[in-house]
Amino acid sequence: MPSSTLTAKASYKKLPGTLELTSTHLQWTQDGKKAPSIRIPHVEAASLFCSKEGAAQVRLKIGLVSDDAGHNFTFLAPQPVAVTEREKFKTELTNIIGVNRRGPNTPSVVPSPITPVLAQQSSNAPSSRPAIPMSRSSTSRAPSVAASDSRRTGTPMSDPTSDYQLRIRVLLSNPELAALHRELVMSRQITENEFWEGREHILLAQAAQESQRKGKSGQLVDPRPQTVDGEIKIVITPQLKLDIFEEYPVVKKAFEENVDKKLSEPEFWHRYFQSKLFNAHRASIRSSAAQHVVRDDPIFDKYLEKDDDELEPRRLREDRVDIFIDLGATLEDHGETGNDKDVTMQAGKQRAVLPLIRKFNEHSGRLLDSVLGEGPTKRRRIEGRMEERYSQLDLEDLHDNQSAAGIALNMGDSKRYFEGRSGDASQAAGPIDVKATIHEAKTNLQGWSANLIQLKIDKKAGDTALSEMTQNVAARLDVKLRKEDIPEVVYGQMMACQTAANEFLRQFWLAIYPPPSDLPTASAATPAQKAAKATKMIAYLDQMSEKVNALAFAATQSGVDGTKIRTAMKPVLDAVEKATTFWRARNSAAAPAPHRR
Amino acid sequence: MDKPSHLSIVLDLSPKQWHLAAQPGSPHPITLATFLSHLLAFLNAHIACKDENSLAIFGALPGKSILLYSSAAPVDDGDTEPADANTYRPFKLMDSIIMKSITREIDALGEPETEEPIGFVGALTKALCYINRVTTSNTTSGDRGVDPATLPDPRILIISVSPDQSSSYISVMNSIFSAQKLASFDLFYQKVTIDVCKIFGAESVFLQQAAHLTGGSYIDVDRPDALLQYLMMSFLAPPGLRQLITVPTQDKIDFRAACFCHKNIVDIAFICSVCLSIFCSPVPVCSTCRTKFPIKTLQRLNASRPNTTPGTPRPPTPANSLPRSTSIAPQSLPRSTSIVPQSLPRNASNGASTLR
Repeated sequence: MPSSTLTAKASYKKLPGTLELTSTHLQWTQDGKKAPSIRIPHVEAASLFCSKEGAAQVRLKIGLVSDDAGHNFTFLAPQPVAVTEREKFKTELTNIIGVNRRGPNTPSVVPSPITPVLAQQSSNAPSSRPAIPMSRSSTSRAPSVAASDSRRTGTPMSDPTSDYQLRIRVLLSNPELAALHRELVMSRQITENEFWEGREHILLAQAAQESQRKGKSGQLVDPRPQTVDGEIKIVITPQLKLDIFEEYPVVKKAFEENVDKKLSEPEFWHRYFQSKLFNAHRASIRSSAAQHVVRDDPIFDKYLEKDDDELEPRRLREDRVDIFIDLGATLEDHGETGNDKDVTMQAGKQRAVLPLIRKFNEHSGRLLDSVLGEGPTKRRRIEGRMEERYSQLDLEDLHDNQSAAGIALNMGDSKRYFEGRSGDASQAAGPIDVKATIHEAKTNLQGWSANLIQLKIDKKAGDTALSEMTQNVAARLDVKLRKEDIPEVVYGQMMACQTAANEFLRQFWLAIYPPPSDLPTASAATPAQKAAKATKMIAYLDQMSEKVNALAFAATQSGVDGTKIRTAMKPVLDAVEKATTFWRARNSAAAPAPHRR
Repeated sequence: MDKPSHLSIVLDLSPKQWHLAAQPGSPHPITLATFLSHLLAFLNAHIACKDENSLAIFGALPGKSILLYSSAAPVDDGDTEPADANTYRPFKLMDSIIMKSITREIDALGEPETEEPIGFVGALTKALCYINRVTTSNTTSGDRGVDPATLPDPRILIISVSPDQSSSYISVMNSIFSAQKLASFDLFYQKVTIDVCKIFGAESVFLQQAAHLTGGSYIDVDRPDALLQYLMMSFLAPPGLRQLITVPTQDKIDFRAACFCHKNIVDIAFICSVCLSIFCSPVPVCSTCRTKFPIKTLQRLNASRPNTTPGTPRPPTPANSLPRSTSIAPQSLPRSTSIVPQSLPRNASNGASTLR
């Protein structure tokens, strides 16, 4: 990027002024003023739009990371000059945006379409439709997310558990948690930090998920013509341009040597897409529909290389192609078993596909390199011995874990577990003459036959038993048949009440019990803080039973059986009761302690 | 539902408990004699339900357990009962054999000074073994043509009057797990259902769990004078039929466990992270698998033990005042180094007050 400043006369909001591009900022100064009224740092630049070529006004619109609307500038110079000026800005800004886009924390930006370039059927007539963006990066996230990302870069947070933005995103993706959060934190019953205490794992998971970035797409650059209103055209975006240059250095070379000397940029692309060179660069041999338009081109034909379809690839690699990505590797498979050559998998049996195969190989190799990084890859390939290859194929997950025999339970003194101390609870019944009981049992066994004949169930007892058991069964049947008849509103209130109580209980026990692990957590509270928190939570918990009563009352008002609500809320109240009892017992125990000292 | 049904009964025959059950003080006393009449009537009904129905009765007596009757055993020809015009002869025979065995076993008890705990687990285990034999013997004899449908549909009915022996927790749980796994060799998975009929005494935690875990029914008999009504309504239908005939059961189940160290039934326990043994207090070394726990963990756990009973005061503020509080309250938890599984008496007294 040249450090020299680009300057042009441009108006902003119909006010004339000067547009400048410095090495750090894009700025605009109104005529007659000294300080620029608009200063956009380079990192803020997110997208770029230009007015069409040949339009009455030469405009440039820049979209910002934080503000999609961006700023509109109109170049004031006469048409040809304005266009040139604009092109200069465009080139520089495209570079800047490209850099921003690759930056670590601005993962996605709206692609910026520039003027349509090629219209194959109707000569060079510029299309009247807005260009359709065609870009490899299809990730287009909401502007707010991108904004929060950039804010995060501004103030780097080392601890994801205290990242406010992260919490918001977790809540957004988890409606139930968000509801609880709304209920408790927004109403200031518990603080934000308390809420997240004990939920750190959710935040960490989210942070880990977000820190994973999409790598480069593995697609081969293949500009495809689109048919729009009967015209076939290829839309060139700056991204596509960069990709083409990267994939085919020869095009870049041609571009540098010709554009602005012999050809204008649109002309260059126009001719390129009609040239044999482009045809040689096609990613597929089938897409030869456009072949009839291929014509000789004195400029591009210079760069044409001979088809890479000889026995030996033209570009021999300095390092050997990784056997796992070489399509030619299966050429003579199964040799050791005495089979014929594998004709079905013969690479280059059809000569025309050879260049394509080699192109794919090169592309895959390049992709792998870019992912793995240069250094280790090289080393790996050079050491590519047989064992090395097998070790690559050897996936740990596929191993049978037979060796893990487990830890044998070595029970010490197992006898002890099956013998208990004799006579534990039953002793309490008082002294009983065992001999007498045995004697009693014996007499009870006499005359069983006569007893059996005289067996008669007392009617009242039988009826009682019958009705009792019938009720038991009926109650369960009733539950099965019962329909959900609590109105949605009341049900929602019950749910809210229940989750709130759960949260208070969680906070309470969290304050009572030590943290689940010995590891010092970021939010480790002092005993005093914990005690204060427990007191606060108990205060909330004490209100729970009133809340349930109020809920039941309100439900009765709206025609629902209040006892039903109480029954449903009983387990929660039981748990609350347990906590309050515990708290009271602990406090009453704590009170006399100083006296005993 | 054409499968025959096999019923194994575990009969609690503790003379002391039956003596207590017959005390006029209880709201609805039942004597052993009355109970046996009800039981015999029920057993006859079970046999009468289907020709192939089989029966085995296991007695849990003080200090022993024994098979009292098996319908598979050959009838002793010398055992002649006088004909009775009022009773179907096979019933009469069965009843007399059962009663004779009970009498024999009670006589064999002699005249001890104290009553030993009943051999309940032994009886339950024998019942499971018996079921295992009747449900799998046919298939292992090499006769491949056995139709699984002819194999009996087994279940166990426990008739209990004794309280839980917490010492037998592990064995009872093991029996429950065996019951769950038994008969899984069959074509379709089917566990041995354990029904429980509690005639006298406090609710049994273990038996509730046994019934719940095996899909059986737990009945706490309110009116023992109408016992036959309960037996008929709840326990006559074999498990296969219970999808069609709903039988009563208890809704509430106590899922508490007994600790391995003192056999106390506990609300909150400390579990060995290696072998899942249950302890009522944190221990430095797991007595089952000999895993040693870090001293820090013990201190942490001890500091946080919930102790709701006022009799054992806890330090007012944890952590910082911990050393002092141990001197204040000598009754409270011993320091972790001194916890050994054998320190029984002190904790047992504490435990008893916390538990119920």
